[in-house]
Amino acid sequence: LCRGGLAERLCRLQNRERSAISFWRHQCIADARIPSDKSCLLIVKILEMFEECTIQVAICQQLEQSPDTLSSEGAVVSAEEPILKVLFARETAAHLKSRPQDVIHIHPPWQKLLLKDAEVPVIMNTYFSQKVLLGGHSETGEKTHGLTKMLIRRNIVSLAQTFRLYDPDHELHQESSDNQVACAPQIYSCDSKWHPLAQCAVNDSLLEMVESQGAVGWREAQVRVVIQRVYCLPAVECYRSHVQGNKPPCGTPVISSDPPNIRLCLLVQDAYGMFSEVQLQSLTSVDAVEEYCRRREGKFCCLAGMKILQRTTRGRALGLFSLIDSLWPPVVPVKVPGQSQDSEMMTTNLPPPSFCYVLTALSGEIHVEVDEEEQISELYRQPDVRGLKEILQIDGCNERCSFWAQVLYLRLQAKHSVPINQREIWMFVTDSTLQNVVHITPKVVAVSVAASCVLSTAVTEALSAASPFVFFKDALWGNGRIICIERTVLLLQKPLLYSAAGADLSELTGPVRLDELDSTTQANSICAVRGTVVGVNESTAFSWPTCDRCGNGKLELCPQDRGRLYCDPCAEVVASPVLKMQLEVFLSCPSRSQSAVKVKIMQSLRLFVLINMLLSLQSYEVQSVLGKEVGLLNCYVQSVTSHPNCVGLEEIVLL
Amino acid sequence: MDGTLPAVAEELLKEIKKAFEETSHVPDDLLLGLKFIFGPSAVPALDLVDQRSVTQVTSPSGRTVYQVLGSSGKLYTCYSSCHFCTCPAFGFTVLQKSESLLCKHILAVYLSQAMGACQKLSVSEEQLTSILLAEEEDE
Repeated sequence: LCRGGLAERLCRLQNRERSAISFWRHQCIADARIPSDKSCLLIVKILEMFEECTIQVAICQQLEQSPDTLSSEGAVVSAEEPILKVLFARETAAHLKSRPQDVIHIHPPWQKLLLKDAEVPVIMNTYFSQKVLLGGHSETGEKTHGLTKMLIRRNIVSLAQTFRLYDPDHELHQESSDNQVACAPQIYSCDSKWHPLAQCAVNDSLLEMVESQGAVGWREAQVRVVIQRVYCLPAVECYRSHVQGNKPPCGTPVISSDPPNIRLCLLVQDAYGMFSEVQLQSLTSVDAVEEYCRRREGKFCCLAGMKILQRTTRGRALGLFSLIDSLWPPVVPVKVPGQSQDSEMMTTNLPPPSFCYVLTALSGEIHVEVDEEEQISELYRQPDVRGLKEILQIDGCNERCSFWAQVLYLRLQAKHSVPINQREIWMFVTDSTLQNVVHITPKVVAVSVAASCVLSTAVTEALSAASPFVFFKDALWGNGRIICIERTVLLLQKPLLYSAAGADLSELTGPVRLDELDSTTQANSICAVRGTVVGVNESTAFSWPTCDRCGNGKLELCPQDRGRLYCDPCAEVVASPVLKMQLEVFLSCPSRSQSAVKVKIMQSLRLFVLINMLLSLQSYEVQSVLGKEVGLLNCYVQSVTSHPNCVGLEEIVLL
Repeated sequence: MDGTLPAVAEELLKEIKKAFEETSHVPDDLLLGLKFIFGPSAVPALDLVDQRSVTQVTSPSGRTVYQVLGSSGKLYTCYSSCHFCTCPAFGFTVLQKSESLLCKHILAVYLSQAMGACQKLSVSEEQLTSILLAEEEDE
């Protein structure tokens, strides 16, 4: 929005108004007597009602107010019986549930508009309205008049009637609307190919569309839905439900080095609250997802050219339903099938869905038409971004959560039979909610990223750079762990849509602190350690040259010149190799005094001298290094055993 | 009964025009009135006006059409003789569901007229005809 523009100004006014309305409504519920400016209170009695373009128009009689009471008992019908046309916004009308003969109190601020040719004034901006029951009790609109639904007449407005902003006697006025209507059929030819929507009416119910599959016109059927989430699924997930026929099971596992085939998928919701997973085209790279997400998530789209792949249920698709549950209940009332569009259900007590259709392309590709111009739909439910501290305290299981975190260290799980790109990655992350608190919660949390959570190259590259700040969207929390599985998306850019409610999501400013090694430390975590050297495992002393460009530790001797080293990935001679060293020492740590702590030192320059001494062919004194203070080292906990009571650590460098 | 809303909308837009002509400023209560009548189209329409996205295209015979440049770079055509716009939201929300009087582009056209923010473009008869008969591009 333009700075200082009209749109920005209206946005601000609107927000202020909305707060005022909800505050006022609260007051209504809490206290029947509303202290308001009595002189501006409008009391009306509804005579007749109809609807135009979601606005409810009520022809009313103005009642003169009595000075001492708000109840309608004291209201007197004035002699002239002035008639008013009162307009109510859709949301106000739903709140009031008014009927003819009801008495409504309209509190300020409201607006009166006098139309030129009409005698009846129009009242608008009637947000602060309240129905008053006979007997003096204010009605807050909860339950009224039993279950009989009232049908309200809808007035359809003609599109031929344009607005004339000029006065009729003004000479600059252009063509009058009458002339144009007469000319219209001659000038504009109506070509059915012209507008895509002219072909087939757009449905707004997924269920209706699915149930009419096979019927005439199925191919052209279009359905209008909101894109709630965008993500990638690996092909294995997609075809799991496909009937494979009578294929015999494979004897040897196939290890392929190709990147897994991935599909772009949408989780969509229709106006009735029903969800569907739509599998779009195959992608070669995940990078398109972030852009697609940014441009289209949250907006309405029209889908065409689909067929049902599967009707899946909660028990068979836990991953999908954990995501659907995080989007339930809907943020706005949804329609009820089979009833007129005027009635909408409150959603607080609706049970979450128990089934979901998975749709795929009928032939070729699914046609997705998004009006990127449109605002984000009100039905869109954005991810609930929280701080890690809050997430660790969640009670439930299999709950989707979204958070920003700084990635400190990565570890690839070492299953050698599985190709690299399909191995589980463990990320150790933190945020300001964990770093700034003392003692109660851990400072660092492990997040495991399964192979089914596809990472884009942008994210993979950022993860090899320094300490990236990553947004984890719809990760799964359960059994005390955060895992990223299918339908979890990792993003780098701050998504424009998600506002942080309360959580401090700023990047960390100070140095990151790790939890110190203690009796609660478990394997597969990272910690900081300090202690005294009590032993040295001389047989583990090892040094080797690495390439200064790529860090490759497996250098070869140059075929031409045996004195120099060659790096295969770089395809170049390594002029100045970096010497890396490794040594295992035993420490005595006061924070975990019962265990023998074995640390594989790899980076610590403090022990450089020690290692050098051990590696040199000169004689040395082990005694000279015993008792040396070491700390604070950042380590990865490789193993924790109880018999013998030993902790195996590996020194690491944080990203 | 005749439609109420068009008369109300017209009067509101006239008030905006008058206020703007007299003071070069649109008062808050009229902006809120726009929001009340036009709902979710109000803010996007004002944004289009802020960005000067509306162009009035005229030809020598006196025919007029409006073209509105959307935020995604797409150009939508709005008629001057009746309420019609080539955007999908119009087709769905106005034509099919009758949930709104106008789409944000048509509202932006009226607001631009009221505030003198229309860009003006003169074209030949053939060019205007081709705009009016243009095929919708589907990707």
